[in-house]
Amino acid sequence: MSAGVALTVENVTKVFGGHGQRTTALSQVSLKVADGDFVCLLGRSGCGKSTLLSLLAGLTQPTSGSVDTHGHRVGMMFQDANLFPWLTVSGNIELALRLSGVPRQSWRDRVAELLEIVQLPQAGDKRPHELSGGMRQRVALARSLAQDCRILLMDEPFAALDAITRDGMHEHIERIWIERGITVVFVTHNVREAARLSNRVVVMSPSPGRIVDDVAIALPRPRRMEDAAVAEQSGILHQLMDLHDTASALERLAS
Amino acid sequence: MTLVSHTAELATPRTPLPTPAPEPAEAPSRQPRRVWAKVWPGLLAVALAVAAWQIVFWTGWKPDYVLPSPGEVGAELLAFLGEPKFWQALGNTLARAVLGFALALLIGTVLGIAVSASGVLRAAIGSMLTGLQTMPSIAWFPFAILLFGLTENAITFVVVLGAAPSIANGLISGIDDVPPPLLQTAKVLGAKGFTIYRYVILPSALLTYVAGLKQGWAFAWRSLMAGELLVIIASKPSLGVQLQYYREFANAPALLAIMIVVLVLGTVFDGLFSKLTEIVRRNRGLGATRL
Ligand SMILES: Nc1ncnc2c1ncn2[C@@H]1O[C@H](COP(=O)(O)OP(=O)(O)OP(=O)(O)O)[C@@H](O)[C@H]1O
Ligand SMILES: [Mg+2]
Repeated sequence: MSAGVALTVENVTKVFGGHGQRTTALSQVSLKVADGDFVCLLGRSGCGKSTLLSLLAGLTQPTSGSVDTHGHRVGMMFQDANLFPWLTVSGNIELALRLSGVPRQSWRDRVAELLEIVQLPQAGDKRPHELSGGMRQRVALARSLAQDCRILLMDEPFAALDAITRDGMHEHIERIWIERGITVVFVTHNVREAARLSNRVVVMSPSPGRIVDDVAIALPRPRRMEDAAVAEQSGILHQLMDLHDTASALERLAS
Repeated sequence: MTLVSHTAELATPRTPLPTPAPEPAEAPSRQPRRVWAKVWPGLLAVALAVAAWQIVFWTGWKPDYVLPSPGEVGAELLAFLGEPKFWQALGNTLARAVLGFALALLIGTVLGIAVSASGVLRAAIGSMLTGLQTMPSIAWFPFAILLFGLTENAITFVVVLGAAPSIANGLISGIDDVPPPLLQTAKVLGAKGFTIYRYVILPSALLTYVAGLKQGWAFAWRSLMAGELLVIIASKPSLGVQLQYYREFANAPALLAIMIVVLVLGTVFDGLFSKLTEIVRRNRGLGATRL
């Protein structure tokens, strides 16, 4: 039934906490992502983006509703780098390769290639604590790319990077997405990044976290951050977010 | 493009500065100084203890044959080094310590993994382990002697009982304290069951485990000394037997010399475990904050 659909979220509500202190992180969220699509989840801090990703990764269970990834292998890159502190940079990436069943003799080349992609070719023997925050985040990116997965979930992977490094990462992630034909769900609160990368932007709004809009981005590729079309698109997204903020505020006033 | 070449130009005048040159020259001279910095507090402590001892000796608080001077004990100690019987005793004691500790390591580790993995076992054994840990091991000896008689087994039994709970508890708390984000990362990377233990849980627990080993060793060493004093096996010389023997013959210098050997051995092994902890900490970037 779901040919061409990578993942399906139906009427998902996620409530944290028990008695008294309850937070509705997600309320009645439904989402279908097509196989091979590049979707950005866009929204303000606290609107439930990370919560939705961990539901998709199967790390938490919804309070109600259902999440289905149709048996695809799901890879994820967390908002925090979460590198294993007892392993070197190479060791972290090798562990991902090992757990993906990649034969040992090709690890060296794969690690070198991945470190090249994240522009850290010299960092292989370093320990995570010897890296800067942005470097750790890039190693986490390399590790997530080492996974053999059909669906890649990325939680604000480039939030800690300078503009130039980030632009390079954008090109790589776009290339890998095309080469491997994987489905990417990419969380960001940077409107322009969403317009630069995705085919589709799902706009979320906080308290309670929910999907308020769904925008197709039909710009031709390759795109660049500075493209006028990308700028224009992100302007539209920005206005859209403001609009939904106002609507939410009015709703809250009314109730 | 232009930006890159611009910064490169700015950087070039800096390279001729002779900053990297002095580093290799400095390294060898720093090495002994660093060793010295680590050694002198220990030496000072020893010097202070010996000085205090000497002063007490001079006051004549106790007669010479009860409290000998540091010099006399030192001479006795030196004489020991030439005696095969002393080395035999030392060897026997160390062999017992190593055997007991190795068994405790095995049992404690298996127990720790089992308890942390199973809720039923945790409920059943978890608090018992802590109880065992607080039990002075010397209190086990009467029972151990009833069980095994005056044999090696009685000693080993108590050494293992002394050390295994600490080792198990160290491992359990290490496993319990694995940061949840790392577990989630492991799951997302596809680790489950045995692989998650092998590649994530156990390495993450290593630091607390090593701390447990250190404590376990201290308990093992104490239990062993108590055991050798209580369970005298006549045919087998050991440090504990030597202590008893020299007390019976009121040979205070030899008695104190053996005590010093026991103290030094304990300190050396404790130092080895500290070193191990330090290596693990440094690998994880935890070394800098300590001191
Ligand atoms: N484990 C948890 N326990 C309790 N509340 C939680 C938990 N995780 C998230 N929340 C709550 O759920 C809401 C959504 O959190 P989430 O981390 O999904 O936001 P986000 O959109 O990723 O925000 P950001 O952009 O800041 O990362 C927040 O109000 C947060 O306090
Ligand atoms: Mg988040």
